[in-house]
Amino acid sequence: MKKVYSLVNITKAKDQEAVQSICIKQIQFNDQKHEFNKRPANTGRRSLSRSISRSSTDSYSSACSESSEDESSPRDKLQATSKGLSDFCIKNIQQTEFGRREITIAEQEMPALMILRKRAGGEKPLAGAKVMGCTHITPQTAVLMETLSRLGAQCRWAACNIFSTQNAVAAALAEGGISVFAWKGESEDDFWWCIDRCVGAESWQPNMILDDGGDLTHWIQKKYPSIFKKLKGIVEESVTGIYRLYQLSKAGRLCVPAMNVNDSVTKQKFDNLYCCKESVLDGLKRTTDVMFGGKQVVVCGYGEVGKGCCAALKAVGAVVNVTEADPICALQACMDGFRVIKLGEVVRQVDMVITCTGNKNVVGREHMDRMKNGCIVCNMGHSNTEIDLVSLRTAELRWERVRPQVDHVIWPDGRRIVLLAEGRLLNLSCSTVPSFVLSITATTQALALIELYSAPEGRYKQDVYLLPKKMDEYVASLHLPTFDAHLTELTDEQGKYLGISKHGPYKPNYYR
Amino acid sequence: MSDPAVEVKLEVKQASKEVKESENVAEKYSAMTVSKNSEMNIGDLSSAFSAVPTHKPVKKQIQFVEDKQEFSRFPTKAGRRSLSRSISQSSTDSYGSAASYTDSSDDETSPRDKTQVNSKGSSDFCVKNIKQAEFGRREIEIAEQDMTALISLRKRAQSEKPLAGAKIVGCTHITAQTAVLIETLVALGAQCRWTACNIYSTQNEVAAALSETGVAVFAWKGESEDDFWWCIDRCVNNEGWQPNMILDDGGDLTHWMYKKYPNVFKKIRGIVEESVTGVHRLYQLSKAGKLCVPAMNVNDSVTKQKFDNLYCCRESILDGLKRTTDVMFGGKQVVICGYGEVGKGCCAALKALGSVVSITEIDPICALQACMDGFRVVKLNEVIRQVDVIITCTGNKNVVTRDQLDRMKNGSIVCNMGHSNTEIDVASLRTPELTWERVRSQVDHVIWPDGKRVILLAEGRLLNLSCSTVPTFVLSITATTQALALIELYNAPDGRYKQDVYLLPKKMDEYVASLHLTTFDAHLTELSDDQAKYLGLNKNGPFKPNYYRY
Repeated sequence: MKKVYSLVNITKAKDQEAVQSICIKQIQFNDQKHEFNKRPANTGRRSLSRSISRSSTDSYSSACSESSEDESSPRDKLQATSKGLSDFCIKNIQQTEFGRREITIAEQEMPALMILRKRAGGEKPLAGAKVMGCTHITPQTAVLMETLSRLGAQCRWAACNIFSTQNAVAAALAEGGISVFAWKGESEDDFWWCIDRCVGAESWQPNMILDDGGDLTHWIQKKYPSIFKKLKGIVEESVTGIYRLYQLSKAGRLCVPAMNVNDSVTKQKFDNLYCCKESVLDGLKRTTDVMFGGKQVVVCGYGEVGKGCCAALKAVGAVVNVTEADPICALQACMDGFRVIKLGEVVRQVDMVITCTGNKNVVGREHMDRMKNGCIVCNMGHSNTEIDLVSLRTAELRWERVRPQVDHVIWPDGRRIVLLAEGRLLNLSCSTVPSFVLSITATTQALALIELYSAPEGRYKQDVYLLPKKMDEYVASLHLPTFDAHLTELTDEQGKYLGISKHGPYKPNYYR
Repeated sequence: MSDPAVEVKLEVKQASKEVKESENVAEKYSAMTVSKNSEMNIGDLSSAFSAVPTHKPVKKQIQFVEDKQEFSRFPTKAGRRSLSRSISQSSTDSYGSAASYTDSSDDETSPRDKTQVNSKGSSDFCVKNIKQAEFGRREIEIAEQDMTALISLRKRAQSEKPLAGAKIVGCTHITAQTAVLIETLVALGAQCRWTACNIYSTQNEVAAALSETGVAVFAWKGESEDDFWWCIDRCVNNEGWQPNMILDDGGDLTHWMYKKYPNVFKKIRGIVEESVTGVHRLYQLSKAGKLCVPAMNVNDSVTKQKFDNLYCCRESILDGLKRTTDVMFGGKQVVICGYGEVGKGCCAALKALGSVVSITEIDPICALQACMDGFRVVKLNEVIRQVDVIITCTGNKNVVTRDQLDRMKNGSIVCNMGHSNTEIDVASLRTPELTWERVRSQVDHVIWPDGKRVILLAEGRLLNLSCSTVPTFVLSITATTQALALIELYNAPDGRYKQDVYLLPKKMDEYVASLHLTTFDAHLTELSDDQAKYLGLNKNGPFKPNYYRY
C-alpha cells in the first residue's frame, strides 16, 4: 500500500518540480527587483531563512499537488468544515481526506511527538495556552500542531512562506478545528493578510508565538503592541528570526522571553551533519546519476555540512579534497584523512565541486573557466551565493537545461560544466528532508513551548534563551526508541562519583 | 616467539616500562623497589626470565600499599596526580619514549649530594649525570623533527623576542618533547628554570642536555617526595632571580609558590596550567578570591582536547590491543562503554577494521549520535554473554562489575581507555576463587573456577598509556599551545587579563592549528576582502564564535 503510494508521489513530485522551478524563477525575478520592492527585507530574509534553517523547508519534495484546482483566490471564497466552522482560509476544504492521509504517514516517522502526546496527554501542560504559529504548513508541522492541541493548547496558524503550504494538509487541519490561514502561491499581500487574520480574531488573544523567520513576531510587535506585551513567550526556529530577536533584545525592545530552538545541539547536528551526509549523495544521484567511486571531489568548507558530505563521499569511494579557511577545521580535515588544498590548485582535475562554506563567490568564474569537461558544480551551503552565477550569465556561454534542476553551461570550445539547481541548495532542491529530521525540530519546538508556558514566574526574563540542556537531552531520548537503543542508567553511586544527577543534564553547557 | 633473546629483551623493556606508569604515589613508592629489581635484571639477560614470574608477588605488594593509601601522608596528592595523569593525556608523555635505558649504569648516590658543573662552568642545576648531555641532545633533535610547529614558531618570532625579560619557572614532565618547548622559550628570549611534575617521568639524559645549554633544571628520575619539593624550591628560590611567569602541570608549583613565596607569587604576570587537576585547583583558588594573578587554562583549548581525546585514542586503541593481545579485529563483537570523544575515536577505529561495534551510553544526545553513526546502543547486560572485547571510556566508576565479568565468555578481553582505574571493578576480581595469571606484562588472565578466562589488560588502568605510545605530534600541539599562552599573557596590555582563569583566545587556538598544518602539506584558503566582509569576519580570524562546536 505504502509502496504504491510512494510511486504516485514520485510522478507527482516530478510535476511539482517542474512547476516549482518555474515558480522559483518567478521568485528569483522578484529577487532581482528587490530594491524596488515594497517590503524588500522580506524576500531577502525569506531566502536566508530557507537556506539555513533547513528542516523548516520541508515542502519541496512532499507529495501534494494541486494542478487541477480553480484559480479564484481563497480570500473570496466562503467555506465551512463539516462541523460548520468557517474561521479559516484555505484553498479547498474538500481535500481534507487526502491531507489526513499525509498526516498519518508523517506521524509514523515522528515517534517522538507521538510519545509526547502519550506521556503528557493526561496532564495537558499547555491547557490555557493560545498558540499562534507561523511556519511552513506541511504534514510534519501538522503533526506538531495536533500534538499541541492534544496537550491542551488552542492554535491558530499562518504560513511563513508563500509557496510552501500543502493545501491538502491545511484543509485537514481546518477540518480538525485549527484555524489555518494559508494556501500555496499566496501573493505578498495575501501573506500579510493571512498573518493579520490569524492574530486579529476579536474573541481570541494569543499568549504564545511559534515563529519561523520572525515575520509573525515582527507583525505583532508593530501592529498589536498591547498583545505583544502580554505574551508569555516566543519560540523561534530560524537563523533569521533569531537574529532579529537578538537585535530587538539589544535595542531593549524585547519585552517577553524568547527561546532559540535553532541552536539546540540536537537540531544543529541533524540539520547539518546527519541530514547533509545523506542528502548530498541523494541529490547528486537524482540529478546526474553520477558514479562516485574514484571520482575526484572537492568539498569547500569543513564545518558540520562539509564533514557530512566528506564522510558520505569517502564511504562510496570518492577521492575527497577539502578547502578551508579556518585552521582548526583544516586540521580536523587532515586528521580525518582528507587533503586540504586551495581550489585553484586542483580545479583542472576535479570531477565535482561541492560548496558548503556559508560564504560567497567561493567558486568564481576564473575557477569554472579552468574546469574540465563534465565537471559537476553544486552547492550545499548558504542560499545561492557560493557559486558566482552572475559571472556565468554572459553572452559567450550557452545554458542548456537538460533536466529539471540540471543545467549544462557550455563554453565556446564545447566544454560543459554541469550546474545543479542553479547554485541553490542541492539538498532542498533535489532531494528530500526526512520526516525524522523534522521530528527533531518539531519536538524541540513543542518542548520549548511547554517550558516557556509552564516556567515559574521569573525563570525567564525579557531575553533570548537557549533551550536548557536537559530539554535537549529529552528530545534526543524521545527519538531513541526508533533505533531500539537502550540507554544505560547511572547507579546512585556512579551519579555521585561524577557529580551529576541520574536524570541529567549529563554534560556542561560548553561541552563540544 | 621464535627468537627467545628478542622476546626476553622485549619483556624486560616492557617490565620496566610498566613500572613507570604506576598509577599513584603510593604505588610509586613500592614500584621504585620493583624498578631496582628489574633494572638489575637488564644487565643479565638470562635472569630476565625470572623477572616475569616475580611480577605477581610484587604486584600483590603494590596492591597492599594501595590499600593502605588512606594512611598515607599525602593522600590527596595521590588522588590528584592520578587524575591529572589520566585525563590530560598528552602530559604523560614519558611512557613510550626511548630514553632512560642508560640509567641502569648510574651510581646510586642522590643527585642532591653531587656537585656537577657543565662545560661552561655553571653549576646551577641538579640532575642525575651531566655527562649524559650528548645522548639527551640526540633525543631532543629527534623530537624536534616531529614538532615543526615549535620550530617554525622559533623562526617566526625569533627576531621579535616576544618573551624578552620573561623569567619562567616550569614544572612539567621533563622529556625530549618538553625540552623542545623549553628551548623554544629560551630562543624567544625567556630565562627558564625547570623542575619535574612527576617523580618518575624525568628523562635524565634530557635533563642533562638542558642543563648543559644553561637551563637550570632540577629533576631526576626516581625522586623521593622530599626530593620533589626540594627541587621545586630550588627552582623558585634563587637569589637575584625572581620568576614572573609560571608554566605548571598539575598545580604543584603554583601551590608551592602561593604558600611559601606569597610575595613572589603576587608579582607573577601569569600562570599557564596544562592539566585538569591544576585547572580545577586554579578555579577553586579563583572562587575563593585568592587568585591574585591571571591564569590561562590550556587544557580546554579545542585543538588540544581533540588531539588528546579523539585523534590520539583513535590510533592508540588499536595499537594497545595489538601489542598486548595480538587480537584480530575483523568480525569481533566489541562493546564500547561511553560515546564521548574517546569513545567516538575508539568506535571509528574499530569499525574501520571490521569489528561489530555496540555502544553503551547514559546521555541521550551522545546515544543518538551513536545511532546516527551506525552503532547499536545497548545496555551492557544485554550483550555481555556474546561480546569478545569490552572497552570502557566513560570517565565513570564501576562500569564493568563483577556480576558482568562473571557472565563473560571465555577469552574475552576487558580494557579501559577512560578514567584512571576506576571503570572496571578490578577489586572485585581479587577474591580467592579466581586465579590471576600474568601471561605477558600488562596482560592478566583471570581464571574462574570452571576454567573460564577473562583477559584483563593493564589491570584496568589506561590502556593507551600503559600499552602504547603518545605520538610526539600530539605533544607538539600541547607544547605550542603552552608557548603561545605564555607569550599572550606576557605581552598582553595591562587590564586585558584580570585575576581570573582564562581560556586561550580562539585566535591563538587557530594559530596553533595553523602551525601544524604544514606537516600535512595542507594549503589553507584565504578569504578575499569581499568574502570576509560578507561573513562579518576578520580575514585573519577568529573564524568561529566561541560557542562553536567543532
